[in-house]
Amino acid sequence: MTSNRIRLIIIVLCLIVLITLPLWASRYIVSVLLLIYLYMTVASMWNLLAGYSGLISLGQQMFIGIGGYTLAVLSIYYGVPIFLGVLSGGVISVILAVLISRPVFRMKGVYFAIGTWIIAEALGISFSNWGYVRYGMGLFIQPAYKLSMSSIYYAAMILGVGSIALVYLLLRSNLGLALMAIRDDDMASEAMGVNIFRCKLTCFLISAFVTGLAAGVLYLNTIFIQPFEAFGIGWTVKLLFIVIIGGLGTVEGPILGAVIFVLLQQFLSEYVGFNLIILGTITILTIFFAPKGVIGTFHEIFLVELFPIRRQ
Amino acid sequence: MNGILLGGLYAVIGIGLSMIFGIMKQVNLAHGELMILSSYFSLVFIQLIGLHPLLTLFFVFPAMFILGYLLQGFVFNRVLGKGMEPYLMISFGLSIILQNALLLVFTPDARSLKTGLIIQTLDVYGLFHVPVIYLVDFAGGVLTIGFLHLFMKRTYLGRAIRASADDLSASKLMGINIKKIYALATGIAALTAAMSGVLVGMTFTFYPHSGTQYLIIAFGVVIIGGMGSLPGTFLGGLILGISQLVGAQLIGPGFQLLSGYLILLIVLTIRPQGLLGRK
Repeated sequence: MTSNRIRLIIIVLCLIVLITLPLWASRYIVSVLLLIYLYMTVASMWNLLAGYSGLISLGQQMFIGIGGYTLAVLSIYYGVPIFLGVLSGGVISVILAVLISRPVFRMKGVYFAIGTWIIAEALGISFSNWGYVRYGMGLFIQPAYKLSMSSIYYAAMILGVGSIALVYLLLRSNLGLALMAIRDDDMASEAMGVNIFRCKLTCFLISAFVTGLAAGVLYLNTIFIQPFEAFGIGWTVKLLFIVIIGGLGTVEGPILGAVIFVLLQQFLSEYVGFNLIILGTITILTIFFAPKGVIGTFHEIFLVELFPIRRQ
Repeated sequence: MNGILLGGLYAVIGIGLSMIFGIMKQVNLAHGELMILSSYFSLVFIQLIGLHPLLTLFFVFPAMFILGYLLQGFVFNRVLGKGMEPYLMISFGLSIILQNALLLVFTPDARSLKTGLIIQTLDVYGLFHVPVIYLVDFAGGVLTIGFLHLFMKRTYLGRAIRASADDLSASKLMGINIKKIYALATGIAALTAAMSGVLVGMTFTFYPHSGTQYLIIAFGVVIIGGMGSLPGTFLGGLILGISQLVGAQLIGPGFQLLSGYLILLIVLTIRPQGLLGRK
């Protein structure tokens, strides 16, 4: 039990530092951490799909685009309060996920990956041909100027910490047990009464909701939304990098991956053009030499986990 | 009519992807970038020696074959037999690397492989006009697929490739060196990428990031026709080409890509293994 207590103390200490951060840290540090939270959120949702449910989605950017555009349209055209707009972004994302769930769940493995990607591309093209959202020119989310940095920071932090807690609790619940059974042997688990479709659908909807929320907060920070960027495959590249480096199928992986990614991005921003080449190379090398990511390799060597999801 | 001709071009774009899937059960997400890389290779030779784009194929073919061979030999073979995800992700990483390397070397400007063919049209009995370049594309497509078909049926190497696609362990027992076969197959897939890259470069303008767009077209072709099936790939190309042009005619030019995607999603939903694909 002592290891549990130590774990709890570490987590609480970290939270205290993070909550008080805007009071003492510089604006730059706050903005970097804000990005880390958001990437962590979106990455852990992708990890929930790819690492635990066996659904490799290359189309998470559809929820980023939908979340961002919902916020933009509601707050610019209808004057809806900003955080209500963010919440609606999550809700609309879930609706989209429900709509596409029937067709995409008929696709298996690589077909699922391609199907989700094509839906995202099709949405991007539709939005760039849609006069209501000013075609490909994009929208400026002016109402977001009124927000202070620290309120965006806290929104991002709630999402970041909340999503990790959510994934952790989900995996400790009956659903997590069912997911692990499906991953190990889907035929046997179905024979034992696990409803595979419902389990995967639940994960898909949860990830759509949280990704939609995170997209809203992300665009509060960016202010400007444009269809080819919002629905672009670039998001999946980033998620892939974060989760692979951190460790696919681990709760801590996306946290560490997001930290590495955002810091690397800040560091490499001087070398425009080279940064994505370096990211791609690191991803490939990681798959070769540490296929379980930094965290997975760490688990193997030291046998310690910050968020153990197995039952003792 | 143009849709059918465009379909011939689309079929070559898809064929490399289809081959790799049929043989290794893997999906090469870097295929579009290999294609655009060939377009740029061809551009370099045109500017250096002043050759006709089609003649640059003599240089682009060997370059791409070697590249494909080395990629499979040194990169992809390392994750052989570890399931789908590592291959998918490595090829994705590779596509990002290639795309940005092209961006660095050639800048984001629009390029094209200029020929006189682009402005010529052929008058068919006064009924309609056919751009000559589309005819060249179609002929290139038919030739490539025909050659590939003969190669797979008639040569030892082709038979060995088909054997390892059908039954991996049995062909290993028969003394086929799988890793070498895979490397050669990827080399051949890179050859088809070279062919389609040069044809696309002659027909349309291209940018360093064009690969993604053609990768999706390749997926469309392959998914509609069925992964790993040569005639299916040809059929898929035709269906996609026609549906794109029909979509553009009916709704508007902005929807050319969209109508292709919609057809694709419908096929994916109803018959995920493709029209002529095996389960």
